Amino acid sequence: MSTAATPFPRSADRRSALDRAHIGDIHGAFGSVECYDTGPRLTRRRQLRTMLAILGPGLIVMAADKDAGTMSVFAQAGQEHGMELLWVLVVLAPLLYVSQEMAARLGAVTGTGHARLVLERFGRLWCAFSLTDLLILNFAILVTEFIGVALSLSYFGVSRYLAVPLAAAALIVVSATGNFRRWERAMYALILADVGVVALALIARPSPSTISSGLVPAVDHGAATPMLLLLIALIGTTLTPWQIFFQQSNVIDKRITSRWLAYERIDTAIGTAVFILAAGAILIACAAAYAHVGPRTGFTDAADIARGLDAHLGRAAGAIFAIALLNASMLGAAAVSLSSSYATSEVLGVKHSLHRSFTDARVFHGCFATFIVIAACTVLIPGAPLGVITTHVQALAGILLPCTLVLLLLLCNDAQLLGPLTNPRWLNVAGALAVATILGLSTMLTLTTIFPAVGLRDTLYVTLALLIAATAVIGLTMARAQPHERFDGGLTPWERKTWTSPMLERLAAPASSPARTLGLAMLRGYTTVMVVLLLARLVTLLAR
Amino acid sequence: MPNPQRPLAPITPLHQDVAERLADAMFALATPSRLQILASLRAGPLTVSQIIHEVGMEQSAVSHQLRVLRDHAVVSVERRGRERVYTLRDGDVSALLDHAYRHVLALMGGDAGDAGDARARREAS
Repeated sequence: MSTAATPFPRSADRRSALDRAHIGDIHGAFGSVECYDTGPRLTRRRQLRTMLAILGPGLIVMAADKDAGTMSVFAQAGQEHGMELLWVLVVLAPLLYVSQEMAARLGAVTGTGHARLVLERFGRLWCAFSLTDLLILNFAILVTEFIGVALSLSYFGVSRYLAVPLAAAALIVVSATGNFRRWERAMYALILADVGVVALALIARPSPSTISSGLVPAVDHGAATPMLLLLIALIGTTLTPWQIFFQQSNVIDKRITSRWLAYERIDTAIGTAVFILAAGAILIACAAAYAHVGPRTGFTDAADIARGLDAHLGRAAGAIFAIALLNASMLGAAAVSLSSSYATSEVLGVKHSLHRSFTDARVFHGCFATFIVIAACTVLIPGAPLGVITTHVQALAGILLPCTLVLLLLLCNDAQLLGPLTNPRWLNVAGALAVATILGLSTMLTLTTIFPAVGLRDTLYVTLALLIAATAVIGLTMARAQPHERFDGGLTPWERKTWTSPMLERLAAPASSPARTLGLAMLRGYTTVMVVLLLARLVTLLAR
Repeated sequence: MPNPQRPLAPITPLHQDVAERLADAMFALATPSRLQILASLRAGPLTVSQIIHEVGMEQSAVSHQLRVLRDHAVVSVERRGRERVYTLRDGDVSALLDHAYRHVLALMGGDAGDAGDARARREAS
């Protein structure tokens, strides 16, 4: 086998782009890759430089995933259950990586954002469903991010009426400069302060034996119910639909093509590691801080955690947590809001790129600013029911996640879109299992949120029945998906690696199958029923 | 409407920002279906339903491509009652289309056997 696959490096341009700004040189925070410079990277030094230029979407999405909601839930897990839930992170890591890798691959190969792909391959109805889901859920998450900003700065004695408007203004200014590199550098600055939480684990000095005990799932029968709920919340806040939409669009906007997919996978893996380390550090620090404190059910909010760390681990620990909370909330707000405006503009067909300034892409940046301003104003309404919103957001995210994951899996099996880069079979099996598990867990969370009086055992039975039905439906749907091996061969290894989708309008219509339609309709029906139940619960809570 | 015959200052050196804007304008012209829509507008203003009839594409596809063209300031739209009427934005866009068409025709005339696109050949004859 020869080392150089082609005498001349092929252009890394895509065949399909929705916005011209998505084609061209990559300008990352730490370097550039020219679009003609696609030859093999033969030295370690060159590989590293390319890696530094590509690094970004995966790292940012994972750092933003450790947002205000995630920090609160992991802190609560540590405070109330010590190290007992540490093993969840070990389970979450592969789930997180696999779902984000699929989104990144779709972006790099098709050059088309997630919302637009759903429109093209599943039609207007499904696009309307997933876009409304995304926008509503993102709005709710955005509110929790601004609650995070308010809480973290209240720790330093800053009024929320000053903190929240300032944060909102900063976010709008940073995204509207029309310079991708500047935007990415701003995100990296936030990430840098954000991963400071890893220092918390060092300050806490847990013994290795307590950490290893937490890595083994243990069932304490007395505390099973609250622990299970927390477990579901941990998963619901770690895996959310906006991440898939954001990473896919951001990979495209960064101009990463299938040529750089290997680097983008490393980027996603680095991001996953950062998430796991940071989330683990929060859990460990809170477990250590509250290890010798009386009742362990006193979680109120993240600011209270910061004061608790201050009291039990020293002033530095409290400050580190509060600063990390501020940065994580800002990062989360930026990414969540961007996922909304990317998706909206893709579907509308207007310019959507961070390479464009406010005047050049008014709809894109206007959407971003509108989402930010409305969410910031909601937080500032005196007496707004923020606590109720925060707890219900996780339930809503859990309900809507399976729909997003199923669409993601189906898109990743579409040979028209991904050619030789469709999912291998093992990934489909793993994905279907993950969807079924999340479906089951989210059902339990929803049922217990809506009917707190019903016992856990009854909920478990209902969930198991649903789980079996769901697995059957997903299995049917997946069986009809086009298998990886069926793609026409005859491509050189280099051609397989750099394959890109044809122009969207030249794609053949997707093959429709009754099983697929039925499966999707059932999933949608289930989601709708769950959302209606949740809304009914929310309305009765607020009416009280 | 600017006069297409108006003499222009030489474009070199082309500033980076202007090159970006130019590339955006060309991007709007860089899809077969959008070119078909623009060609149908070359003869004069049309409503959406007329465009659909002219180019024989689905309504949703036409609406989408018209939105892209409008976003890139290649066509302009005017409301007449309940209908939206689309026009090429100015004489420069018409001239751009004509020149590109002539360029491609000349290429195909010189090497017609290689220009495998039957539709293009039909339009050329």
